[in-house]
Formats: sequence, structure tokens, C-alpha cells
Amino acid sequence: MAEEFEPKIVAFLCKWCSSAGSDLAGVSRMQYPSNVVPITVMCSGSVSPLYILSAFNKGADGVLVSGCHPGDCHYIKGNYYARRRIALVKELLEFTGLEPERFQMSWVSAAEGKKYTEIIKDFVKILKPLGPQKKLGRSQ
Amino acid sequence: MQKILTKKSFPKWVEDLVNYQIYAPVEKNDLWSYEIVTANEITIDYPNTVLSPKQITFPQREFFLEFNQNEDGTPGVKELLPEENEAVVFGVRPCDAKGVTHMDKVFGGDFEDAYYWKRRNQVTLVGLACNTPPSPNCFCTSVEGSPYSVEGLDVLLTDIGDRFFVQTFTKKGDRIINASKGLFAAPKPKEKTDMEKIHQDAVKAMPRSLKDMKKIPPKLKDLFEADLWDLEAMSCISCGICTYLCPTCHCFDIQDEITSSSPLEGKRVRTWDNCQFPDFTMHSSGHNPRPDKASRLRQRIMHKFQYFVENHKNYQCIGCGRCISKCPVGIDIIQVLEKVRDHV
Amino acid sequence: MVNLDDLKKEAHRILEENKVKYIIGYSQGSNGFPAVPAFIRNPEDSDNLIWNPACIHNLTRFLRDEKKRKAREKHPDNRPVGIIVKGCDSRAINVLLQENYITREDVFILGVSCEDTGVIDEKKLAKKLMGKMALSFDWDGNRNLVVTTKNGEIKINADEVLAERCLECPAQSPVVYDILFGDKVKRSPETRFESVEKIEKLSTEERWAFWKEQFDKCIRCYACRSVCPMCYCDECVVDTISFAVTADTTAEEKAQKIKWIDKSPVPSETFFYHMVRAIHLAGRCIDCGECERVCPLDIPIRFLNKKLEKEAKNLFDYEVGFDPNQLSLVSSFKDEDPEDFIR
Repeated sequence: MAEEFEPKIVAFLCKWCSSAGSDLAGVSRMQYPSNVVPITVMCSGSVSPLYILSAFNKGADGVLVSGCHPGDCHYIKGNYYARRRIALVKELLEFTGLEPERFQMSWVSAAEGKKYTEIIKDFVKILKPLGPQKKLGRSQ
Repeated sequence: MQKILTKKSFPKWVEDLVNYQIYAPVEKNDLWSYEIVTANEITIDYPNTVLSPKQITFPQREFFLEFNQNEDGTPGVKELLPEENEAVVFGVRPCDAKGVTHMDKVFGGDFEDAYYWKRRNQVTLVGLACNTPPSPNCFCTSVEGSPYSVEGLDVLLTDIGDRFFVQTFTKKGDRIINASKGLFAAPKPKEKTDMEKIHQDAVKAMPRSLKDMKKIPPKLKDLFEADLWDLEAMSCISCGICTYLCPTCHCFDIQDEITSSSPLEGKRVRTWDNCQFPDFTMHSSGHNPRPDKASRLRQRIMHKFQYFVENHKNYQCIGCGRCISKCPVGIDIIQVLEKVRDHV
Repeated sequence: MVNLDDLKKEAHRILEENKVKYIIGYSQGSNGFPAVPAFIRNPEDSDNLIWNPACIHNLTRFLRDEKKRKAREKHPDNRPVGIIVKGCDSRAINVLLQENYITREDVFILGVSCEDTGVIDEKKLAKKLMGKMALSFDWDGNRNLVVTTKNGEIKINADEVLAERCLECPAQSPVVYDILFGDKVKRSPETRFESVEKIEKLSTEERWAFWKEQFDKCIRCYACRSVCPMCYCDECVVDTISFAVTADTTAEEKAQKIKWIDKSPVPSETFFYHMVRAIHLAGRCIDCGECERVCPLDIPIRFLNKKLEKEAKNLFDYEVGFDPNQLSLVSSFKDEDPEDFIR
């Protein structure tokens, strides 16, 4: 039988909440799929659309941007800016024909290790039937 | 060799060229481009293609070599020459074919560019004389060309009503004629005079011209510092349309493009470059000898009508009019040259 | 109706009174170009100015060159530049003001109202004329284009030849100006996003097929970027002009220089370029449609910007270019911004 497709997810996690949340999942020994390549950024508001496009360009099957809950941003309002910007990127990518499921955003606090594992589990579950993302990826 | 081919048997001839890939201009949503086609898709009556056929012998992107890092850390390099692929290009305008001969000069000479010549030697160019000008900005007769010029062509077809007058000039051309049996007839004297008459009329139909062209190259030499360039470039937006569409522009860039960083894999590619772009001839020190759009426009004109004339005794312009027709702000190379010629 | 003589007279006056350095306007082009950008310096040359339905160019793009030129001058001439703007172009000025790229004193704005029409789409007109050469054309005042050809006059309904963006234009007359020519009209089009909605209705795979075909044509001449008044970045993501390599530059520094987009015109890189261009214009594009007009391969690039304009309006109630004092789309937020897509 052919090997099951394992999607590659690039996750931009803010240093203060989501990255800490993923650490909590780790130190608490919570089980979740190993499909994620986490990239810690200072704030979800610092995630340039270039990063997202670049991740897809380099072959990511899914991209996640995750930050602090509204009101909890370490920089007070970075995640509000992110919310706007990501909404626009998402609309644009869908408009050009990328499957909308491939690009997600979440709020994960430092205490939400459990939520982080669930987000990743669900993301992997959604991506598997979609197969490899070939539309935006650099051809070999 | 001179032959006659009826238009009805034209598709048959193309079908007989079984060992060749066939290119011809095709229309899609009002845009004409050279595509790989089958015999029945070829149209004879068409305006200028957006991109010239230079992309067949000098594609916008081609590979030189591929490189990688082996498991033991040693580098691996493999040359990537173009594939074996004999092709016939139909419907080449005489000006575009002349452009190919200019390319030959650039990629030939002291150093022969293996990648270019591999493609070039495999291509047979079948031209179509322009009975009517394919663009309102045609001016080939002003730059030593003509609507029935045979330079660079292996075969020239002239539409003389319900048949083509076929002329071949090279062995390659003879070969594709000989690939078909029984389709070609010997021309009658009347057909020959018809063809000649059509050619003469085509010259008269030339929509644009530039007088005293010969004065321009020496004049340009003295105009390097002239303020003419600033004025002419005021409306230039520094896009790359004029150069990318030009059948004789040949500047290129070589870059290493990485497809995987671990393990390292990538290719060395040659892509077209463009003198109108801000990073053209950018030095690694950060200095750019052509810092503004005026100096870039000057470069384009100088390269075509002074440097190239000095080096290769030809204008590096074949008068197809593409850069005029497609310029977003109406910069007209004929007008710029007239201003150069009349500059005091 | 815009009175061209008034426009010329005013141009003459401000040049003669030394109010402006020069005027960016339109004049007759060579061999069949019905209008090209013109830079008028002498009062007597103001007679060369024209105003016709082919004055399609967004001249505010040239303010970028002016700014660069001024920065290079030792003793810059600080007089404003006179500029002729249509409704859409005037909103570009507002965005440039909003972003502090220019100041209001840098420009003397000669606003021209499109009234109930706009500018023509050259390709649509060429199709209507079927090979005939237009000697001249103008609006007749009843939303008809009257074209004079060698074989007589042809009358074409405005809706058939207007540029698509003019049919979807929210403001036909300038929103910022020093002098206005023509009547102030505000026609709110019912079909502001119709062109975009056509694509939205397609399925994901159909949309992808549509854009793939379009981007495959792209030769990366960057005319869409070059013509845009908002594309004024010192260094565009597709160029490398600021990375100076000296004897001290280490291999690591060179390796760390990020090359976001390869030069090869392959689908992935072309897509990347167009996405960056579109997203960078979110909340900034005033829909002058120049990017689409200049494309030599007819890629409908404008749809990408229009889509973002639509979402800015729908999601964030943001309109571009009407108020130079509003905060820009992506450097502002509201508490109630939608977040139903966030988990």
C-alpha cells in the first residue's frame, strides 16, 4: 500500500502566547502530529504576507498563523493588525483558487497547550484528503 | 529553389513534416503568439505576434546546469544542454527573421554560445512576406529591411492569391520542401512576376518611415550628455515591455535558483534581462552607472543605433514596431530617433 | 462638459505666473496614439494640452519621478507641480497625501470631471471600429462616443466602450483639486464589484484554472508595477538594488540575503509576484486600472486589486482615497473587525 500522505504545515507562532502554548503541549507530553514546522515570531502582527506566500512557495501544504487572544497581545494591539491583514491575505488566496482550508489562523494563549494540539490535529485531518499543495509550490 | 504550393495543399505539406515540431502564430483572446501547433491550426492572415519568435531560439528562461550536494558533501554538477528537437517555425515575418540574424551575431563570433546554437541549428524558419503591413507601426524599410527580406529565413512564402510562391535559400529549407512529394510545382513566369509585383507593392504600403537613418549613428556619439534624454524619458515608466517584446534585445542574466536547500539542489538559469529595470547593470558595490530612467532610455537607443552599428555594422532594430505599439505611454522610437537626427 | 480652452487658459496662467514648475497633462501622441502624457514647461506650450476620452493615463504616477528628481537636486525648486487629474487619479493623490509621500503644497491640482462618462478602453474601441482608424473622438453629451473615421462618423453607446473600471467607478469627479473643470457629478454605480463577483462565483478549481492560464502568460515585464502610482517602494521585492557587496561582505551575509522571488517566469514565481503586488495595494489601490491597461498580454490584474477593495469595504467598511486624514487600512483596526475565520 502506498504510504499515507503527510502534509507539511508551517506555523508562525507568536513568541509570547502561541509559541509558549506549543511548549506547554510539549512539556505536558500531549500527543499531536509531527507535521508542523513551527517558526517563532515576535508577534502575529509581524507576520508579513511575504512569509505566508513564501511558505507556500517553498512547498508548505498548509500555513498557520497563531497569536495571542484579542486583548492579550504583548504589544497591546499587534494581533488586531494581524487579524485584518490575515483576513485580506486569506480572501486573496481563496480568490485565486487556493483551497481555503490550507491557510488558517488561531488564537492560542500560553495556557492553551491542549487547544494547540487540537488545532494541529484538525489541521492535519483537513489537509490529508486535499493531498500535496502543488499550486503555489516551486516546481522542481 | 523556387516552387509553387497551392494553399489547399499547405496543410498536407505541414503534415508531411513528421520529424519536426511545428510552431506557428495562433490567436487566443485577440492575442497572437507562437505556439506548437498541428497542420490545421496554422493561419496565414495574422497581425504581429505580441512576442517575437526570438523566444524559440532564445527562450526567456533556460538551464545551463544543475548542481547539488552529494551525501558525502562533495558537489555534483551536470550540464543541461537543450534537447534534440528539430523544429519548423511557420509564418515568421521577414523582420523577425532578420532579428534572428542579429542574435546570431551576438551569440556567435569569438565565443559561440552552445546553448543558443543548439536551438538555433535545429530551427528552420519559414517566412511569410508581408503583403500588407502587419502593424500600423511597421518601418522595416528604414532600417535596411524589407517586407520580403530573406535574411535569416530558410524558406520564404509569398501569398499570390490561391497559392504560395515558395523560395528556399538554405539546405535546411530544401530539406523541408523535399520532405513532401508531389505537392510542389515549378513556377510559371506569370507567377513569378505576380510575386515580384506583390513585393514591390508591399514596400509602397509601409506605414511609417524614418529619413536619413544613416545620420543617426554618428550623431548619437555626440549626444551622450545631451539633455534630450531627460526630456524624452519624462514619460517613461521604466517597464520592460519595449525590450522584452523586441526581436533583437538579447541582454540576459544568469542566476542560481535553489529548489532545495537541504540537501542542496538547484539550477543555474539564464533569463532575459532588461535595461529598463533598476537592477540592470547594478554593480555589487551598490553603484549603478545608469541610475535613472533617462540613462536607461539612452542605453536602449545607443545600444541599438550606435554601439551595435559600431560592433556589427547593423542597426539592432528591425522595424517591427512592437515597442511603439505596446508602449504604455506612447514613446515612439521613430520620433525619438528623429529628434536625435535633428538635434542641434 | 469640460471646456478645453478653459483648461489651456488656466494652464497658461499658472505657468506664466510661475505658480508651478511644470504641468503634467495630456497631449496628442504620434502615429495614432490619441493621448500621451505631456510635460508642459512654457506657457505657450499649454496650447498642446488636450482632453479627450483617451486621456486614460493616471498621471500621478509621475509624482514619483518628480520626488526622486527633487531629492537629487542640490537646490530644489520647491514650487508645486501642476497636474491634471480625473476622479480616480485624484484619489491617488489623497492616498499619497495620507501616506505622507507628498504634501499638498507639492501639487497644484487641475481636476477634470469625467461627468457621466469616463475614459475609453482602447481594445473595446478597436473591436468596435473593426480595423478602421479613428481620426478623432469625443463624447456627445448623451453618453455616446462619436468617432470620426475616414468613412464618416460612428456613434457608440458609452457603456460599450468605457473602460471597465469607469463603469464601476464610485466618483467621477475629483475629490481633491485646486481648480475643477467640468461639472461635479456623483453617480453611484450599482455594479461596483460585478467583474469580481463573476470570478467569485466560480468553484475553487475553476478559479485556479482561470488564474493559472492568466499568470502563465506573464513575461514579468513589471509594467503593472511600473505604471502604478502607489508602487513607489525604494526597492521592489523583485529587484535587488540595495545589497552592496564589499570586500568585507561575508559568504554568510550573502547567503542570508533573502531572494523572495526567482527571476524565472515560472508559475510559482509569477504567482508570488502578483500576490505581493496585490496585497501591497490593499487599501491603497484607487482602481485607476492602469496595471491592466498596460499589460501587453492582457492579464486582468485589476481583478486582484478590486477583490481587495471589495473586502476592505465589506469587512472593514474602508473606502480608499476619499479622506487623506484617515488611517490606512492595514495600520488601523476596529474592535469589531470580523474574526469568525479565526479559531
